[in-house]
Amino acid sequence: MNNQFSRRDFLKVTGGAVMITAGASVLPRFLRKNLMPEEVVQAAVNYPAPDLFFAGTDGWFWLPPIPEIPPYHPDPYGADYTPAGVDPFTTYIFGFRNVTGLTDAQRQNQRNKTQHNSPFFWTDQYDDVINPKELRVQLTNLGLALRPDLTDAHTIHWHGFRNVIPFYDGEPHGSISVPVGQIFTYVYRPRDPGTYMYHCHVEDVEHVTMGMTSLVFVHPLQNGDTSFYPSGKYAYNDGDGSTGYDRENALFLSEIWAEGHWNDAHIQESDWSLFKADFSLLNGRVHPYTLLPNSPIDLAASTNCLTVQFDGNGNLATNPGYEHLQYNPHSSLITCNAGERVLLRLANLGFREAAMTLAGIKMRVVGRDASPMKGRDGTNTSYVTNTLLIGAGESYDAIFEAPAYEGPGPYDTYILYNRRYTQESNLSPGGSGGQRTEVRVYPAGTLGPQLYLNQHPDDLVS
Amino acid sequence: MQPSKFKWVWLASVLVLVSLAASSLAPAQSAKAAGPTTGIVCTEGPSFNLTAQSGYIQMSDMNTVYMWSYGSGTTSGNFQYPGPVLCVNEGDTVEITLKNELPYSLPTSLIFPSQENVMADGVLAQPDLANDSLTNSVANGGSITYSFVASRPGTFIYESGTDTKTQVTMGLAGALIVRPSMGANFVYNRASDQFTPEEEFMAFLSEVDPYQHAAWEKSVGKGKNYNLNNYHAYYWLLNGRGFPDTMADNNASWMPNQPYGALARIHPFNDDPGAGQAYHPNPAVERFINVGTEEYPFHPHGQNGQVIGRDGYPLEGPGGQDMAYENFLVNIGPGQTWDVLFAWHDAEAYDSTTNPVNVTVPDLANMTVGMFYSGSPYLGVQKTMPPGVSTLNQCGEYYIISHNHALFQLDAFGQTLAGPITYLRIDPPLPNNCP
Repeated sequence: MNNQFSRRDFLKVTGGAVMITAGASVLPRFLRKNLMPEEVVQAAVNYPAPDLFFAGTDGWFWLPPIPEIPPYHPDPYGADYTPAGVDPFTTYIFGFRNVTGLTDAQRQNQRNKTQHNSPFFWTDQYDDVINPKELRVQLTNLGLALRPDLTDAHTIHWHGFRNVIPFYDGEPHGSISVPVGQIFTYVYRPRDPGTYMYHCHVEDVEHVTMGMTSLVFVHPLQNGDTSFYPSGKYAYNDGDGSTGYDRENALFLSEIWAEGHWNDAHIQESDWSLFKADFSLLNGRVHPYTLLPNSPIDLAASTNCLTVQFDGNGNLATNPGYEHLQYNPHSSLITCNAGERVLLRLANLGFREAAMTLAGIKMRVVGRDASPMKGRDGTNTSYVTNTLLIGAGESYDAIFEAPAYEGPGPYDTYILYNRRYTQESNLSPGGSGGQRTEVRVYPAGTLGPQLYLNQHPDDLVS
Repeated sequence: MQPSKFKWVWLASVLVLVSLAASSLAPAQSAKAAGPTTGIVCTEGPSFNLTAQSGYIQMSDMNTVYMWSYGSGTTSGNFQYPGPVLCVNEGDTVEITLKNELPYSLPTSLIFPSQENVMADGVLAQPDLANDSLTNSVANGGSITYSFVASRPGTFIYESGTDTKTQVTMGLAGALIVRPSMGANFVYNRASDQFTPEEEFMAFLSEVDPYQHAAWEKSVGKGKNYNLNNYHAYYWLLNGRGFPDTMADNNASWMPNQPYGALARIHPFNDDPGAGQAYHPNPAVERFINVGTEEYPFHPHGQNGQVIGRDGYPLEGPGGQDMAYENFLVNIGPGQTWDVLFAWHDAEAYDSTTNPVNVTVPDLANMTVGMFYSGSPYLGVQKTMPPGVSTLNQCGEYYIISHNHALFQLDAFGQTLAGPITYLRIDPPLPNNCP
């Protein structure tokens, strides 16, 4: 590095002071709080505690540093934010962290420690009579540690939520968004099962491509009824077991334009019309890292969200030897026993259409955009395919039945990959480096029942 | 990143003008025919005169871009982009006389990709390869008449058939709507495809590479030398406009060549006459049309549309089975048209006194407040904004965004929050106090 005192260094030194003392110009809404008489809008009510608490902030994560994309990848600033002895982080990101259960101090520590992709969460279908249980997701905004000049608000936009009111939609111009230091609770009554996405909708081109994105899904009311399918787990309220499954895997597609990320880290404007994806990610990683385990899972805390264990500071726990994957904690490996049905929940918040191909096993498309494959007169419109074309912002629910185990290895391997080969390859060493993972089929009875979403056989679980 | 102050001033001024136009002041109309402020503006047939010509349109970043397109009439001077929306009835014999007033003595033609048995000056239309044309072309200054029987209802494209990679990307395209024999408030001849006539909208998607357009503006030589391998759009458009102009009324006076707005203004759906809310039993329809070269993954927030037809064919099985499907992402490809019924239900019927939202409504002074927000979670309720915050909200109506989800397309040559974005405006149930 050179010895110039850069704009970034200046911000690092003065940023905290700017946040506090210059609030009048930088954060006028903090001041307004003091200037404006509060309007009494509601009587005090004891609302239920939030089911989930998310925090929007920035951070760094790791992608294969080779091939280089000078000067954008790997971003040399990443080394400043990487623990000693760990392969340096390469890429500046924004994202959400699950801070449910953290103390206030632990939560504040998570500024500059976000993850990619953001946490997966889910809930059960709401019904006024059978299941009048709302999902309450609290959001706070920890600010951007590297860019205190960017006082952007954040929101959670549940992409695809039907009949939303603007208050809960997270689209900032139609209602409100959450400035730095504030908290808002989104209350959802999800009446339609299926696979959705969520993302921040503030400056959405930037905040989405910077990583404030993930997948969310809704289990149907029919779940628990074993009369249609022995597991009692279904993608939809099918009434006949046609969407029953034994295991479910979320596969979330996103993209990294190295220059756009570098620009945000280096206080440059991006011309988003020049967007070009350099990395195509599956659950926040590229192949072969997609096959590695999840970060250590907190099973008890994973009732609504795939929750990674945290340390005393509230930071994400890591697997020994994979510390560089601390901030892309999600595995994409799919494992099952022969004869089992596996539900794949696929969603794409990249900007390009993907062609996800499962070679050697047919998939039945049972849902698209959180809608069962049914015409208005009930006609079954599901279909069988090996390749799913998934547009930007689209979701699919596909079920495959694991074929018989052939051997001789411990499992048979089938490849699930993006047939748009330019999105499956980043020319990284040791693998194809893009949206590719494996389906591993074990002999019947080998694997126990799936305990949580995207369970990997080598996960550390507590 | 915070948008520049300049952009917000511009946006606010546009929207103030919108609300003025919607108020009691007489809407400032261009020379074009007056019509509804939102929704599809039809040019009625079945006989039409179109003149291919050059003109200019305004982009969200205040650039002005040279285009080719069509105007109604037999002479140039009525340039508009996109071309006029041609509306006919099923069974009509449609006659379109094309006058060629393009620059540089270029030939041109019209194709109707989803129509059969198209005639050109009375004989079956055939390719004219000598003029790089998919159909009979017309020399500069001349006229040609195409005709066909509108044999089935739906949404269709008309566009240039000559040097298509140049002429269509330069803007020579428009929409054709064929209304079914069941009635103008149906999309296809199925009872299930009925819609509310005041809630018929169009999403006409296209993009512009300003370098290509500038090359043709300078000279025929530069235009012909433009290398389409370098084609890269920097503007993406909805009904020929970029956001926030997409929100402005049809025939907004400050965009004389871009007459079509894209705001979808509806009322809450309610098909139960006994329910407390106003009876509003039919959905709205959005006719999606992609005349660009890219996919447009269009995402309306807050509702799953019902895709009932594509390319002018209802989605049905050989035995008439309903093959319509729901989606929240209309992933429309180049040259496709999709017909999508949609509605917004007041599913939770939140009410400030009888059924409040189950959360503490935050003090607006502590939040970042959007420019369309009423200040209240409740439909039809407006609250006072904190000091320093203004809103364009008129009567407590809801604004729910619709936009392309290939988000790099929400851009105008580096200016963000532009391109194919519009809003679904949901007015409180009638009677209401909305202007």
